[in-house]
Amino acid sequence: MTTSDTRRDYLQNQKSSGRKLLGVFPAQFPRELLWAFNILPVEIWDPPVEIAQANAHLQPYICSIVRGGLELILQGKSSLVDGYLFPHTCDSLQNLASIVNDHLDTGKPCFFFYHPKAVDGQPAREFYRNQLTQLIDRLEQHFGSINIERLQECIQTSRRLYSQLNELFNLRKQGLLQITNSDFYATLRRSEFLWPTDYISELELLLTQKCVKPLPSRAVVLSGILPNPPEILSLLDQHKIRIAADDLLNGQRRMTFLPTNANDPLEAITDAYFAQPPCSTKDSAIAERLKHLQKLTVDSKSKGVIFNIIKFCEPELFDLPQLRAGLRSTGIPSLVIETEINQVLSGQIVTRLEAFLEMIGD
Amino acid sequence: MSLTGQLRYHFMKDIGAPALMGLQNITKKKRIRKPDPLFAPPLECTARLKEIMTRHYYLARFVPGAKPVAWVTSGAPVELLRSFGFYTIYPENHGSLVGAKKQGANMCAIAEGAGYSPDLCSYARIDLAHTLSGKTPAGRLPKPDILFAANNICQTIVYWFKAIAHHYDIPLILLDTPFNYSAINDGDIKYMVAQLQEMIPVLEQAAKKKFNYAEFQEIIGRARDTSLAWSDVLATMKNRPAPMTIFETFFHLAPIVSLRGLPVTYDYYQILLEELQQRVRQGIGAVTNERKRLMWDNIAIWYKVRDHSVQFAEQGMNFVTATYTNAWAETTVYMDVNNPFESMAKTYSLVILNNNLDYRLRLMERLIKEYQVDGLVIHSARSCKPYSVGQYDIKRKLRERLGIPAVVIDGDITDARAYSEEQTRTRLEAFFETMGD
Repeated sequence: MTTSDTRRDYLQNQKSSGRKLLGVFPAQFPRELLWAFNILPVEIWDPPVEIAQANAHLQPYICSIVRGGLELILQGKSSLVDGYLFPHTCDSLQNLASIVNDHLDTGKPCFFFYHPKAVDGQPAREFYRNQLTQLIDRLEQHFGSINIERLQECIQTSRRLYSQLNELFNLRKQGLLQITNSDFYATLRRSEFLWPTDYISELELLLTQKCVKPLPSRAVVLSGILPNPPEILSLLDQHKIRIAADDLLNGQRRMTFLPTNANDPLEAITDAYFAQPPCSTKDSAIAERLKHLQKLTVDSKSKGVIFNIIKFCEPELFDLPQLRAGLRSTGIPSLVIETEINQVLSGQIVTRLEAFLEMIGD
Repeated sequence: MSLTGQLRYHFMKDIGAPALMGLQNITKKKRIRKPDPLFAPPLECTARLKEIMTRHYYLARFVPGAKPVAWVTSGAPVELLRSFGFYTIYPENHGSLVGAKKQGANMCAIAEGAGYSPDLCSYARIDLAHTLSGKTPAGRLPKPDILFAANNICQTIVYWFKAIAHHYDIPLILLDTPFNYSAINDGDIKYMVAQLQEMIPVLEQAAKKKFNYAEFQEIIGRARDTSLAWSDVLATMKNRPAPMTIFETFFHLAPIVSLRGLPVTYDYYQILLEELQQRVRQGIGAVTNERKRLMWDNIAIWYKVRDHSVQFAEQGMNFVTATYTNAWAETTVYMDVNNPFESMAKTYSLVILNNNLDYRLRLMERLIKEYQVDGLVIHSARSCKPYSVGQYDIKRKLRERLGIPAVVIDGDITDARAYSEEQTRTRLEAFFETMGD
């Protein structure tokens, strides 16, 4: 496997090797469980499709992630997958799951995963565990029995993978990784469809880019859902700005927490979920998110925070004013840009970004 | 709670408010309404409804210091709060009131000025605007001591209440109701029951009052009876002609949303029911020439209720049912005084918006048949994604299964800037044509 392989070729090869594929919508799901079933989760965030048919099902005020995911299904471009998994992320994704399951005749099974919201403590933990068991039961109906020893191995693989990711993020934070924002996030995002051992190989390759002396670059924190459109990353590269830490839903919010060494594999996965950083899609309190963002900024010596918001994304939009006010009160400047996932950056956004980068200075 | 505060509140409740309202009734110029040939005379108990709601908002001014105050979401299990004596304010009800007074856009603009996106729910923007500026056409709302929410109606409400909790630095108590992609299961119920039970010590502390199980059971029983009465009220509209329009029920809904579990609400629906049954016996229809019967889907377009009411009545069309008004009647059957926690978990998690679209389709099919509906009007509300996403598919399926004509109106619940008069008129004209004779 080389990084030049296309996603589709790779998936085709995986399928030919006997592996099952599951199309997974954003964002939080127990990937180790799927691996244990020899299922490759293929995440559907921003498929490069032109929206046409989805408009017959969705109103214009629904975000481009939901619209793009549905379009992918309607155009038959997800024919390789053996089913879909819908984590419960927001109102729009919740109803998208129901449209696909109840109203579209895809001929593929749909699976659901509800993770607890804004609550912790024992009931939430027990519920999360129960959700894992229910997902296993449903997967077993379609893909055969789960092997617990295999699940233990997958958890160990997951620990290796997340350890490497943590190391990479640490190097990024310190400016000790000789790689652009564009290349770094391009590699990270390959976790969305690579088998974990293949992904680990790519991360090992990335770790060889480690340098001894910090590279001269100014740092920022990037917050939001995705590092999209990719032009944002290239623009930051052009201005020699390093994303030293991120608060992205498909980035550090869900990538850096290792399953624990608990004997019970489901307990280990549960531990990892509850150790994750605060997130709007889990209804985390704004004070918690603010504290987390302040810590990310200070620890990474960043000059400010860029909120890259996908249009119509309610979980993110609601938190913004108070997060920005809180950052401002501690002297951390921030910028909000609102984008569509596959849209070219407008001149106006480029100008605003450049003005912000100039403002945060050296 | 202070003694002075309590004395002041009870004085206003027992003497001040009744005296003030009596005085208002005496001094208010009696408008002599010209009979409208499109409609039956207004329901007599509407005056009582206004009195109940005005009194509720008026007394809210005197609550601080007298009673603990909770801001509550429309789908939250308020029965639990009632047993602790909380004075409850419903920001959604406040939002609808602002919308009906055509103040929604102005209030939303205040929130937008503070950085809240115009793409966010307009109820939320109104509430945030009130929180930030203190402005409201409802007089003055008391500052909350706690926020009490359930995500059975949407996830949005939690994002919104999180912002209010952060602003006031107060606790947000959430009942997390797992979405029913398929049938509810024991694990979900167990999770909700555990959450409800964990709330008790938190509420005891906030209200400085011990939980009384017997009192709680009594409240559950009253809430169930009230909900059954509301269900009976709606059922009168199965008659031809229907004694009320759905636009009227949008307003008569206020007590079951905001004052659920209180005796005044139960009593009110008994009066309303009696008046409606009298109309049925006399063959009085709310729309004088009820030619076609319609169903409304989604929350009302509050600033257009009167206009729509006239527009449809002119065509001899009456709305006789709505998925929205039905929401406070549909799960009553689960309320059980002998098993209050589990029954609350079921009652609140099985509501329409916490269910999959297939459930909603079947519910709508049932209502269409029971209420002999000829056509469907779907409000695609920008503010309400869980209600709106999936409507296009439901429209298509209902047409396929029942041959029922339907029209989609794009708009918003309170923000008139998202409503196009011209586009709506064109769509409705086409719909009226389709409905024909």
